[in-house]
Amino acid sequence: MAPVEIRELTKRFASVEAVKDLSFDVEPGRVTGFLGPNGAGKSTTLRALLGLVRPTAGTATFDGRQYEQLERPSTHVGAVLEDAAFHPGRSGRNHLRVLAVTGGHSQRRVDEVLETVDLTSAADRPAKGYSMGMRQRLAIASALLGDPQILILDEPTNGLDPPGIAWMRELVRRQAADGRAVLISSHLLAEVAQSVDDVVIIAKGRLRARGTLEQVLGGDEVASTEVRAREIDRFAHALEAAGHRVERNGDTLLVLGVAAEQVGEFATREGVTLSYIAPRGRSLETAFLALTGEPESPPADPGAAG
Amino acid sequence: MSALLRAELLKLRTTRTFVALVAAALLLSLLIVVLIVLLSDEFSKQEAREIFTSDFSSLFILVLGIMGLSGEWRHRTITGTFLAAPERMRLLTAKVLAYAAAGALLSLIVTLSIMAVGSLLLSIEDKTTVGISDLADVLWRNLLVAALLGALGVCIGGLLRNQVVAIVGVLVVSFVVEPTLVGLAPDVGKYGPLLNAPNGIIGINAFSDDKPLDEAVAVLVMLGWIGALFALTAQTLRSRDLV
Repeated sequence: MAPVEIRELTKRFASVEAVKDLSFDVEPGRVTGFLGPNGAGKSTTLRALLGLVRPTAGTATFDGRQYEQLERPSTHVGAVLEDAAFHPGRSGRNHLRVLAVTGGHSQRRVDEVLETVDLTSAADRPAKGYSMGMRQRLAIASALLGDPQILILDEPTNGLDPPGIAWMRELVRRQAADGRAVLISSHLLAEVAQSVDDVVIIAKGRLRARGTLEQVLGGDEVASTEVRAREIDRFAHALEAAGHRVERNGDTLLVLGVAAEQVGEFATREGVTLSYIAPRGRSLETAFLALTGEPESPPADPGAAG
Repeated sequence: MSALLRAELLKLRTTRTFVALVAAALLLSLLIVVLIVLLSDEFSKQEAREIFTSDFSSLFILVLGIMGLSGEWRHRTITGTFLAAPERMRLLTAKVLAYAAAGALLSLIVTLSIMAVGSLLLSIEDKTTVGISDLADVLWRNLLVAALLGALGVCIGGLLRNQVVAIVGVLVVSFVVEPTLVGLAPDVGKYGPLLNAPNGIIGINAFSDDKPLDEAVAVLVMLGWIGALFALTAQTLRSRDLV
């Protein structure tokens, strides 16, 4: 039995079907990226898992039990939701003290998690004075308070600056390395790609793909090509004029969905000298875009998970 | 349940709201008592006793109870609260008990303070004083009313999530609807939960010449209101999706 099991989950709000027949697992010791564009149904799924919304059909369980059936839930599951909020007049330490009393954890544990998230020096200040990064750290501290074996993180990097994102990434990897099952939702694919082992991709409430990162990254589409050239702007315009999609990253151009050989021929025809050309596997971004568009075929299931 | 109750009491202690409301209730109640004692002529024994029912803690604890639950939505802390305590019925019960206890504590502070100051002033002014047994009788009634209103406030705050609407609503009912109703139709109005049934417990007769509810009946009426609103609030909390 996987620590997190979602089976044929459906959630309907009036006439809107936010999630439809969704099934996947989250395994221990692995970080599972739960990806999809805004409005895909990620938060609804996580909230159904955490007992905050009632599923219309299907189940979402932790070790076979619904969240509200867990004895001292904070010792099983730690969750950071997108709208993590704190009473503005209550200090970070007192926020954690309240949770510690509710969950039956010691006050020493409060000090420990404050130390873990590097918030000890600001712990006695009212939460209304906290920056976005500090609030996110406090939310993480709340989730870690019961030393749970499962972590659910909903868009945890939203609003964080680059050091904050790097900190979050490292923390997530560390938790998985300690054997925890981590489910992390995001629409910021580039950030998640470096942290996750498995991915579950949904769009419009439906599963699009699931499997290991490699499995979903792979696929049978034409690879993209990375190039550098002195006349990079002219080359980019020429490619776009010819109907190709390109992404510019500094002095490097990523030509999406075109093999290196074709790009080389195109450069020769345009009289552009390339200083670097290399095939690049389909990026998660590309896979994501392909998978979250209007479905032209049944959902892909490249992985064995679920 | 005891952990949830302790957590709710800790929540109360870790913001300034409770202290501010105690201070406001204390100052207002003391001011009223001092003005009544200094500006009035001689009192009958019953009038002297009624001075110490000028305990504004009831109104403040009602507001505090409303804030105790509606504030969870206002500050968007309800999600975290439900994650920590997913059994919503138990959470509501803990909040009701916590705010009943807070109401009794607030009333204890205020009532003892106004009794000390009021009795001293009555002695200095050489007016009719109130004996210990009568003071004790007023004290338990004030405490009971504050406890019941604290519990009622939580239920109201759970039903009307908009804090401003809830607070303005109870003020209008307390100061306009119930006084008007008990004046126009005392047989109906005396069952009002925010003013008239509490007056029955305290044993005072405001806004009507009719006798208020007997204290035991008034307590049952209050418990009935709390039970009904608790059931409605519990049903609302149970069925509500937090999106």
